[in-house]
Parts: sequence; C-alpha cells; structure tokens
Amino acid sequence: MPRTTARMGELESGGRAAEYLAALGVVALTTTLGLVLRPYLSNVDMAMLFLLAVVIVAARTTQGPALLASVLSIAAFDFVFVPPAYTFHVYDAAYLLTFGVMLVVALVMSRLTGRIRRQADEADARARTTTRLSALNRDLAGVGTLEELVRVAADHIGRTGGGIATIHIAPRSGPRAAHDGWLAECLPADPTARAAVLWAHQHGEPAGAGAGHFGEADVLAVPLRSATGSVGMAVVRPGETRPPLTPDWPMVAALAEQTAIALERATLVAEHETARLEVEGERLRTALLSSLSHDLRTPLASIEGAASSLLQDGSTLPAEVRRDLTETILEESRRMTRLVANLLDMIRVEAGTLAVRKAWQPLEETLGVALLRLDERLKAYPVEVDLPPDLPLVPIDELLIEQVFINLLENVARYCPPGTPVSIEATPREGGIVVSVADHGPGIARGAEEAVFQKFYRAVGAEVANRTGGAGLGLTICRGIITAHGGRIWVEPTAGGGATFRFLLPSDGPPLPGKPSEAEVVLQAAAPPSV
Amino acid sequence: MAAVNPVVLIIEDEPQMRRFLRATLRAHDYQVVEAATAREGLMQAAGRNPEIVLLDLGLPDADGLEVARTLRQSTRTPIIVLSARGQERDKVAALDQGADDYLTKPFGVQELLARIRVALRHAAIPADAPPEPVFQVGDLRVDLIRRNVFRGSQEVHLTPTEYKLLAALIRHAGRVITHRQLLQEVWGMSYVEQTHYLRVYMAQLRHKLEPDPARPRLLTTEPGVGYRLREELPA
Repeated sequence: MPRTTARMGELESGGRAAEYLAALGVVALTTTLGLVLRPYLSNVDMAMLFLLAVVIVAARTTQGPALLASVLSIAAFDFVFVPPAYTFHVYDAAYLLTFGVMLVVALVMSRLTGRIRRQADEADARARTTTRLSALNRDLAGVGTLEELVRVAADHIGRTGGGIATIHIAPRSGPRAAHDGWLAECLPADPTARAAVLWAHQHGEPAGAGAGHFGEADVLAVPLRSATGSVGMAVVRPGETRPPLTPDWPMVAALAEQTAIALERATLVAEHETARLEVEGERLRTALLSSLSHDLRTPLASIEGAASSLLQDGSTLPAEVRRDLTETILEESRRMTRLVANLLDMIRVEAGTLAVRKAWQPLEETLGVALLRLDERLKAYPVEVDLPPDLPLVPIDELLIEQVFINLLENVARYCPPGTPVSIEATPREGGIVVSVADHGPGIARGAEEAVFQKFYRAVGAEVANRTGGAGLGLTICRGIITAHGGRIWVEPTAGGGATFRFLLPSDGPPLPGKPSEAEVVLQAAAPPSV
Repeated sequence: MAAVNPVVLIIEDEPQMRRFLRATLRAHDYQVVEAATAREGLMQAAGRNPEIVLLDLGLPDADGLEVARTLRQSTRTPIIVLSARGQERDKVAALDQGADDYLTKPFGVQELLARIRVALRHAAIPADAPPEPVFQVGDLRVDLIRRNVFRGSQEVHLTPTEYKLLAALIRHAGRVITHRQLLQEVWGMSYVEQTHYLRVYMAQLRHKLEPDPARPRLLTTEPGVGYRLREELPA
C-alpha cells in the first residue's frame, strides 16, 4: 500500500529508525549475554545465540534492520568470541561458513516475514474496504431518487477522502454530453486542482493529492466509470477548516466504482421511465388526434351537408325534410359547442390555469342550473334529487361545479339506456359535503375505476360514445375541477348495478360571515317600501 | 309591434355573426343598423337613434364596457350585451355599468327575440310610471299593493326580506339582475359583497314558490351573474 502524504512518510521513517535501533539493541544484548555465559558455552552455542538474535530481528522488522542485525552479529561474534578474540581475524575458515549461514538466515527470514506482514496488511485493508463498501451499498439500497443517491455516495466518498465530495453526472445524450459542458460545473477554482480534474476526466484515471498524477494538487478527482463508459466524476475538496485530504486511493477507487454502477443503474431506470412516458404520451397524442378529428369532422360534415342541401334544393324539398335538415344543423352545432367547451376546459385544467373563485352558496342552486341546462338531454331520464334541508353552504366556484354536474349527467345520457333513473344526493361530512350521482346503467368495468378519469378514456362499447359525441374528456375535467377545489372524486358501483360518482367538496375557503338574521333586515324593511 | 319597425343597432366585429343577426331580425320586422367597431357604433347610436343596442364585448378597437358606459351617459336605450361563456366578470361589469341584459354565445333565435321584447317593453314604460299593481306568472300571483303572495289560491307567507327580494325581482321581471344590484336594493349599499345572504334567501324563496326548488322555473339562476324572474314560463 503506497503511503505517500508527508505526514505518513514521517511516521514511516521514524518507525524505520526505531527498527534499526532495535536491531542494534538486540545484538548488543546478545553480545552481553554471550559474555556473561561465555564460561559455560562453546563458540558453536554462541553462534546459535547470535543466530537466534538475527531470527528475532528478522521476524519483527523488515529486511534492512534484519541485514544490519546479521552484519552486526557477525562482527560482534567475530570480534568478541572467535579466536583470536578482540580482533577481526579468523583462524578457522569454518567460521566463515557460520557467518554465511547467519547472513542467509537473516535474508530468508526477513523476506518471509515481509511477505506475511504484507499479506496481513492487505487482508486488513481488504476487510476495511469491504466494510466501507458494504456500508455504501447498504445506504445506496435505501435511496429513492437520483439526487439522494448522489448525496449518499458523495457523503461516503467525502468521508473516505477526508474532504467534501461532490458528484457530477455526465449526461448520456444531448448537446451537454457532446460538449462536456457538465464538466465545467465540477472544475475547482484553483488552477492545479482544475488541471487535475481535467486530466482525470481525459484519461479516465484518478488524479490529485497523493496519486501518480497531480499528487501536489489539493483535490481528489475520481472519474466514475462503468462498463459502458464515463458516467461522471467525483471531486473531493478539502473541508472548511482545510484539514489535509487523506487519499486512501484504493478505498476511494472502490467506492467510486460502486457509485458508478449505482449511478448507471439509476440513470438507466430514469431513462427507461422517460422513454416509457414518451411512448405513452405519443400514444395519447395519436389517440387525441384521431378522436378529435373524428369528433370535429363528423358534426361539421353533417352541418355542411344539411346546409348545402337546403341551399340548393330548398324550395323543392318537402317541408318535413327541410325541418329534418335544419334540426340536424342545430343539433350538430350544439354538439360542436359542447366539444369545444370541453376542449377549452381541458386545456385550462391541463395548463393549471383553472382559476377557482370560491363563494359560500347552497349546492341546490348550482345543481339547479345544471339540471336546467340539461333539461332537453335528460328528458328521457328520471332524475331524483335528494338534498337534506339542513345541508350547509359550501364554498365552491359555481360555474366549475355546474360543469362537474353537467359532465356527470351527460355521461348518464351517453351511456345509460333511456328510462334509467338517476339519483343525486348530498350528505354533510366531517370537513365538507359528499355529493353522489348514481345511475343504473352499464356501470364501470371492474379495474377501470381509476382509468375512467384519464384523458380520452372511453368505456367499452365506444361506438355508443362516438354516436353521442364524447371525446373522453368529461371525467378528466371533473377530476381537475374537484382537485382544484381541494376535494376528490371517485366512482363506486351502484347497489343493484350502475355507476355512482361521488365527490367531496371541502368546506375550507374564505370564512363564512354568518347567516343574516331576519331582525337585521326588518329594520331596513321598515323604511318606506320602494315598490 | 309599433307602426314603425324598431331600429336595432348591432355593434359586432364578426361579419358572420352580424349576418345571422341581420337576417333573423329583419325576418322579425326589425330595422337593422350595423357597426363593426366601437367608434362606428357610438356614431351610429348618436345618428340613428336606435330603440335597442346589441353590443359585443370583444370589439377590436375599444372595450365593450367602455361603449356601454359611454352610451349610458347620453341615453336610456336598452343595451343587450353579447359575450362568450367564461366572461362572466365582463358581463357583470357591463350590467353594473348600465347594460340591461346579456346573451351568451352561442344563443338561439328564441332567446334573442325574447330578450329584445322584454328590453323594449321595459324601455317603453316611463321611469316615473306607477308599477303594475299585480304581477302574475304561472300559478304565482303577487299583489304589490296589499303585499300578498299566492300560489294558485293558496297564500304564501314570506318574511319581510323574502318579500323585499321578490319585489326587487318583479321590478326587473324578465331581465337579469346582478347579485350586486339585488343586494343593494334589498340590503343596502354596505351589503353588496355579501352574496351568500342573497343565495340563502333566494333558496328560501324558491322553496316557498317553486314546485321543485332544485329545478327552478320562475326564479332562475344566471350562473356567475345573478338571477332572473321569468315573465313567461317556457312551454
């Protein structure tokens, strides 16, 4: 593991000096011990003692101190114990072999212990990396959005790098991707740090403090790379108090790799979702176009046909045919009017420009307007209205709620066979009133209770709807209006068959300034009558 | 109809709309004068002295409201405003400025002719003429001298406010009356914003006078604008 910041280097060299001193100490101790034991031991035993010292040093330190210990041991042994004592001369050539053995033992032992220590260090580092990685993965598993993912990953990388990390995502497509425009966002102000980030991006390799490139820069630039290419860049800057960065590069690299994989997965999911929505949107637009062109052209064609025939053969046509043609023109224009009104309402709902002007009022009045407007169309449907006499006032926009009633009741006329009874009820509830419009028609298909409120949805058997000119917008508009009132609308089956649409009108809004008391007005009425 | 056919001034910028109005009104024995802009309309109003003005609110050169105000300064000629649905605020403003009634486009011929008839009849009554002593429509009969209200032969007891409200509606019978106008007439100037007073009393009145209060035939609501007491019941 390359440890390369200045601080770590100092620690290391201090450690090394201590090891050499220890080697010196061990040999000195052995020599002293040898001198004490000299009367009892032969020189062969003495050599074993020194060999033990070399083995101890080699096992506990690195190669350098081990070699030092072996050279010192040879020197001490030779000088103190090998005859002639207190000279470096050697009379018996067999001692040279002893010296050689001591040297070789030192080398082999230090090599062996070095390898073992390295393996232990690596295992230790691996364990720490694994712990950090699994911590990152655990945190990433909990995130729901791309923003959260970026925040969690930046937190982990920042902690490991000893600074504050930011993560920058490279767009996968579009003009920003082509121009590396996103990269500009992550470039630090400092020129060296800036160069390090640029280099890291261009080469796809980490750069910055302690790395092979731009080691002097006060930044860690880690390209986030997945199997399919660059997904972005993690940049670690020193924190506010500017403590030095602690670039544990292998760990940072491991975290970066994990982050890159998570990022890629998240962006792929997001892209997939966008693509799905686009396809869905396209499908809707196509449906809108075909539905609209049909709905607009049909009445126009009838109007044009009827009018031109009246113009050309007006005088020769029998009176009842002329009347028939004229009625066609009238009915079809009304249909167009309804359709255009729906489209305009839809645009307002969609654009979010539905201005709701709430005023406290009795629901009965608004319902009355809707029933009157639909008098003709609902002629064949007995409508039963049941509003409790003590129903409180509700804050509503009368024009919009009227439209809700109209759309719901027009659907009855559109989908239910003539003669089907309809009942309209309202009940006070905690925080508002719930209104229901119940029919006994074909009802809503099981599972379509939500779909009916979607744009351009039409009930199965749409030829019925086509004949009567529904564009599949009515319920969407209802939902838009009720939602804008702060309420909600839903559909349930009617007991005994049919559909019951219910909506909650909340009684929040401008405060109700109290009902006028009769006394208040009697005073005024006492004035001379103006009638 | 009077010996001389009444003159109707149409101030409307859409040629197709003018064409429809012209054809219809001529067929019903009105004389038609047309103007495509506000300026032209005001000139025609001064020069031709029309009996009634049909005024489109969406004119190219000036706000229709402005035209209504200017006309009202010099003449009592009834003004019927033509506008689209969704322009309720403009309609209310025009009515409060002195316009007599309104029609929401698209409208049918019956509606148009009925509005014109009512407006002409009201204009023909001098401002200081005493009101008719009895108002009657459908099975409702109101004796304005004795302050009695009957449904058929059954007397209906109204509170003083209800009666005041009904009397105000009768004064404008056939024509629309805005919330503001009604509140001012019944409760006074300081109550013109208290629309819910009006709605509560209107509901009470309907429950006493209408066979089916949820489907009022007499006391109809003009959504976003005001109320109208019908002078004649639809067939």
